[in-house]
Amino acid sequence: MKKNIVFAMLVSAGVLLLQYQVPIVQAEETGPVHSITLPTIPAELKEGPGKDKVMTLCAICHSPDYIPMQPPLPAKTWDHEVHKMIKTFGAPISDEDAKIISSYLAAQYGADKK
Amino acid sequence: MKSRFFSRRDFLKTASSISMVTALGGGIPSDLFASEGKLVRFPEKTDLILLTSRPPQLETPKHFFKELITPNEALFVRWHIANIPTSVDLRTWRIKVGGNTERPLELSMDDLKGLPKVTYTAVIQCAGNGRSFFNPRVPGGQWGNGAMGNITWGGVRLKDILAKAGVKGDSVEVAFNGLDSGPLPTIPDLVKSLPVDKALEEDIIIAYEMNGKPLTMLNGFPARLVVPGWYASYWMKALSDVTVLSKPLASFWMDPAYRIPANPCACVPPGTKPDKTVPINRMDTRSLIIEPSQGNRLPVGKEATISGLAFSGGYGIKDVVVSVDGGKTWREAKLGKDLGKYSWILWSLPWKPEQKGKYTLMARATNSIGESQPLDSLWNPSGYMLNTIEKVDVIVG
Repeated sequence: MKKNIVFAMLVSAGVLLLQYQVPIVQAEETGPVHSITLPTIPAELKEGPGKDKVMTLCAICHSPDYIPMQPPLPAKTWDHEVHKMIKTFGAPISDEDAKIISSYLAAQYGADKK
Repeated sequence: MKSRFFSRRDFLKTASSISMVTALGGGIPSDLFASEGKLVRFPEKTDLILLTSRPPQLETPKHFFKELITPNEALFVRWHIANIPTSVDLRTWRIKVGGNTERPLELSMDDLKGLPKVTYTAVIQCAGNGRSFFNPRVPGGQWGNGAMGNITWGGVRLKDILAKAGVKGDSVEVAFNGLDSGPLPTIPDLVKSLPVDKALEEDIIIAYEMNGKPLTMLNGFPARLVVPGWYASYWMKALSDVTVLSKPLASFWMDPAYRIPANPCACVPPGTKPDKTVPINRMDTRSLIIEPSQGNRLPVGKEATISGLAFSGGYGIKDVVVSVDGGKTWREAKLGKDLGKYSWILWSLPWKPEQKGKYTLMARATNSIGESQPLDSLWNPSGYMLNTIEKVDVIVG
C-alpha cells in the first residue's frame, strides 16, 4: 500500500517534471476543425543601406531570417540567390532594387568582407 | 519500367576502408550539434531551434536523440512555401486520387480509417540534414543534425488506395500535392513524384497517426505520405492530391530542386557542378554520437558510456563500431532494441579512460547490405546526404 503511494507520488512528480521540461503550446481544437495560430517572430537584420528593401521585398514571400541563417556567401552567390527569387519564384523586384538588395547582402552577409 | 531514379552508392560497401581513417586530415566537423541557436515555441510543439519562421523551419534539440522514439512535439518542422495550412476541417478535407486511373476517388479521414491499418517505426530525415557542416559551406537551410526523428507511423497503404483507383498500364509516376501554396501565384507549388513501381511498394503509407496520435499541424495534419527509407522531401505533408501520371512530372521541386549528382557517391569535387543529376532518393547510412558531447570533460579511471543512434535507408543496422583514438582502433558497440529496418537503433559502449589527455571519439555504422559511412565528407552543391563519420573530442582529467 505504502509502496503504491510512493510510486504514485513518484509518477506525479515525474509527470510534473515532464510537463515542466516539455511544455507544449496546445492547438485550438473544436470538433472536426483543427486549427493553430502561428507565432510572429521578428527577424533581426544588420543595419545598412538597402535593409528596408530586404525587409519589404524579400519578406513578401519569406521571413528575413533566411538571410542571417546562411553562411557568409560570396557576392556572386548572393546575387545568384536574388535572381533565383526573381526568375524561379517570380519575386516582384525591379532590376534596380535587385542591385540594392544584392549589395546589401554582400556587404552585410558576404564572404568577401570581414 | 524505365525510371529516372537510381539508388546511390554501392560505394563504401565494405568495412575495409576503416584502416584509412588514420590518414584523415581535417574537414570533419568536430561537433555535429555545436550550433544550437534560438529556441522558439510553435503550436503543438515544444521548444525547437529556429531556422526560419515563415515558412517555419524548426530543428530538434540534441537531447531528444537519446530516445528511441522522438516525441511528436519535438519532431523537426520543415515547410517550403509560406502559405501553410493552419486550419483543416475534416468534414470537407479529402484526398483526391486521379489522373491516369480507371476511376477517380475522394477519400475522407473516415474512408482512410476504414481501410486496413499499418503501423511501423521509421526515421524521417530532411535531405539537407547536416548541411551546415559542409565544407565548403553551401547556401540553403542551415540544419545542424536535428532535422531527423524516429516516429511510429500509422496509416493505410498507398498501394491499397491506388488499387481501388486502378492504375493504368502506361503509368510512369505518381505525384503528390499538399495543402500548402506559395504567397505569389508565380511560386512553384510543392509537388513531388515517385516512380510508379516505387509508389506501389508495400511499405509506403498515407499516415494519419504519429506515435498513436493525430499528426501535429506542422508535421502534416491530417495525413501525410510516408516513404520509409527515403528522404523526407517525398513525404508530402497535409496530402490533398495523388495523381497518377503517364509522363514524368514537370515540377521545380523535382528538377532542378532536390537533385544529386548521378554517380555512385552522389558527390563532386568541392565547388564544382555535376554534369548529370538524378532526383534524391534513398537515405544513406549514419551514426551519431549523442553522449558525450564535443569538449566534455571526463574523469580519469571512471567508467563512462559513449552512446548514440544509427540508421540507414531501409536496411537496418548490422553493426556500429566506435573508436576512442581517432580511428586507430575500433570496438563494436552494443545495439539497443531493434524496431525494424526503417527505425533508428540506439547504441552504447562503456569506456574507462585510464590516462589524462584529449581523445577523439568516432562512430561508424554499417547496414545489412554493407553500406557504411565515408571517412571524409562527400561534397555536393546542394548540401544533401551528409553522413561523414563524426568526430567528437573530449578531455579526460
